[in-house]
Amino acid sequence: METTDLNLFVRTSEESIAGWDRSKIVDALIRETLIDRDTAGEISKEVEQMIRRSGIEVITAPLIRELVNARLIEKGLESSRKMHTRLGMPLYDVDSLILHPNKENANVPHGPEATNLTLAEGIKKEYALLSVFSQEVADAHMNGDIHLHDLGFVDRPYCSGQSLEYIKKFGLDLPHSLSMARPAKHAEVLLAHLVKFAAALQSHFAGAIGWDAINIFFAPYIEGMSDNDVKQLAQMLIFEFSQQAVARGGQAIFTDINIYWEIPKHFVNVPAIGPNGKFTGKTYGEYEKEAQRFAWKLFEVYKEGDGAGRPFFFPKPIVHITEKFFHTDGHMDFLNLICDVASDKGNTYYVFDRGETAKISECCRLSFKLEESDLLDAKEPWRMRYCALQNVSLNLPRLAYMAKNDDTKLFNLITERFILAVKAHKEKRAFMEKLLSLGENGPLALLTMNRDGMPYLRFNLASHLIGMVGLNEMVQIHTGEEMHESRRALKFGIKAIAHMNLLTEKMRRQENMKIVLEQTPAESTSYRFARLDLRYFSPHAGRIMKGDIASGEVYYTNSTHLNVKHAMNPIERVTTEGLFHPLIEAGSISHVWLGEAQPSKEAIADFVIKTFKHTTNDQIAFSPEFTTCNKCHRTGRGLADTCSYCGSTDVDGITRITGYFTKVSSWNKGKLGELKDRYRNSEFFSERRKAAAND
Amino acid sequence: MGIVKIFYKDDCPMCPMAKQLKDHLREKNVAVDDYNVGTTEGLAEATFYRVMALPTILVEDESENSLGEWRGNVPHIDEVLSAVQGA
Repeated sequence: METTDLNLFVRTSEESIAGWDRSKIVDALIRETLIDRDTAGEISKEVEQMIRRSGIEVITAPLIRELVNARLIEKGLESSRKMHTRLGMPLYDVDSLILHPNKENANVPHGPEATNLTLAEGIKKEYALLSVFSQEVADAHMNGDIHLHDLGFVDRPYCSGQSLEYIKKFGLDLPHSLSMARPAKHAEVLLAHLVKFAAALQSHFAGAIGWDAINIFFAPYIEGMSDNDVKQLAQMLIFEFSQQAVARGGQAIFTDINIYWEIPKHFVNVPAIGPNGKFTGKTYGEYEKEAQRFAWKLFEVYKEGDGAGRPFFFPKPIVHITEKFFHTDGHMDFLNLICDVASDKGNTYYVFDRGETAKISECCRLSFKLEESDLLDAKEPWRMRYCALQNVSLNLPRLAYMAKNDDTKLFNLITERFILAVKAHKEKRAFMEKLLSLGENGPLALLTMNRDGMPYLRFNLASHLIGMVGLNEMVQIHTGEEMHESRRALKFGIKAIAHMNLLTEKMRRQENMKIVLEQTPAESTSYRFARLDLRYFSPHAGRIMKGDIASGEVYYTNSTHLNVKHAMNPIERVTTEGLFHPLIEAGSISHVWLGEAQPSKEAIADFVIKTFKHTTNDQIAFSPEFTTCNKCHRTGRGLADTCSYCGSTDVDGITRITGYFTKVSSWNKGKLGELKDRYRNSEFFSERRKAAAND
Repeated sequence: MGIVKIFYKDDCPMCPMAKQLKDHLREKNVAVDDYNVGTTEGLAEATFYRVMALPTILVEDESENSLGEWRGNVPHIDEVLSAVQGA
């Protein structure tokens, strides 16, 4: 290959300055695309002439690549152009990222690590849309028909349910780690293993890490410990997880801990593992008192809050309410304690496992219902490791704009989008299979480690989530009424989700993949869909959109929820929203926004019992609001511009964004719009308080 | 007169009995709506009425107030007729 005498220097991506060498263009084209050597040579000459004519003396490698891409487009070689694409970001965007916080995920702080995370995510997103997914799927994501969640983490599964038993039995023995630890002998060491393993897992999953039955599995280690020591352990566990904001991108590990007051049926006769990873000779059923003692202490710590009296953001405590719960000694005392925490700090999540259902909960609302084969695994609980591979959400309001009040058309469009979401899952699955096939020498070594006769990630059990955003607005566009406005509108909403439920079953059989519906948390998706629909479906979209168009604080109502602004008795809301939950296998939640109200623990306990007994609601949480002062470090009730103690304006608002607490200052505009609209149930609970006082 | 709603599925063991009940009720000129939960319409209606066991038989008056319900079992026709006539 001839070279030229062009007096030009190239700033290469290897941080060096090299002399001009046209053959490098040819080499790259041959290496990365399918074009022939003659065409590559021709393009390199054309690019060289263009640069020569410009008279510049220094050029960057990325610019050369773009000039080559321009020639490829001119020659109609679009597929080669795609293969030759360079991923990256404009200088302006990088500058903004380094200087300003990322508001797509309120769990990402602002700092150098967070910037690294966002930059890496940016490139991986581009990679995913160009290389992992087909053009049809990528285009549907980009134009807002669907949303592929966590594209910046395309090379990992979405989220997971874990078992402490794994580290109790096998210790901390991770691939490529500098040292291995044998199974823990003491409770504190087990806790250290748990936190480190959670951090390692956070690097291998996009979302939440949920831990099943944490109080039960810790129980054999706390036998014989004093109450003070158990409290200390509970304090360590909660502080370790809530302050672990040093790992991936400076994010706290999104952790859920599942807690039971009773020992669930599937664990009662399971041999317990204790210190040194050895069986203690007892079953977990025999550790009920120890498990309860730990659960109690955990909630005492939640009640106290952090050093400034604020609620802990993580780990999220998820209490399972079951039939057996109500037949277990001390359940009312425990219920009152966790309801006291719910009222005061908001932490408690109540998951309702009715009948024979058993679940592991994680993420904002995701839960895995344990099937018969999973319950067999419960005999060896270290095998109870589950994950969702990906989450794809459908933009439902858009389908209603397109259907123009035609039922058949609307349901056909839902089917089409659903099939597209399944296609996206198949593409992600194929990509993950490729990564996992590289085993312990590949990028997902941790997930392929084999300590119990099977890979850590049980890929064959992985779920594929399909979510929905804006059912309420879809119904509003199609029927003229929101779901709270009429029985007809509500029934139409249920029909749409019933349709998706049946599609799920059908596609599951057809594709032999575990496809499940989930209520999408949609922290940024409801905002993104709303903005895109304002662009493509105005003026109609402008009339439907929730929030404030003038300020850009627009959003669609999350998943199957009712309008958050509508003043509605919370019991009625939880009951009505709960109608959808049996159709949504992978998890749902109803929020009870408290605002400044602080109901009595008895009122909340009564509410929880009624919800369990008289509704089909899967999960509820009560969300108070707080203002915390950065000057005097005290925390007051409600969202305010100034500290109620010292008057400082240096304050942060804190409340629940979707399925977790965070500072309001980190929220995206859509969520801020929703926050302004939220109907707080102050009146309902203050009337209850008055009625209780009069009694 | 009350209206009867019967919820069933193609492959549930007791559902054929519920279908027979539907035929007998219709022979006696009772209004019966039947819903197959394997269809979108049927599943939606069953969800709205919180049907968690099959078959389920509900009796309502014209204002949709409940006059009787049997969830997960099939009552004798006389019990249903009594509920229907109680409207």
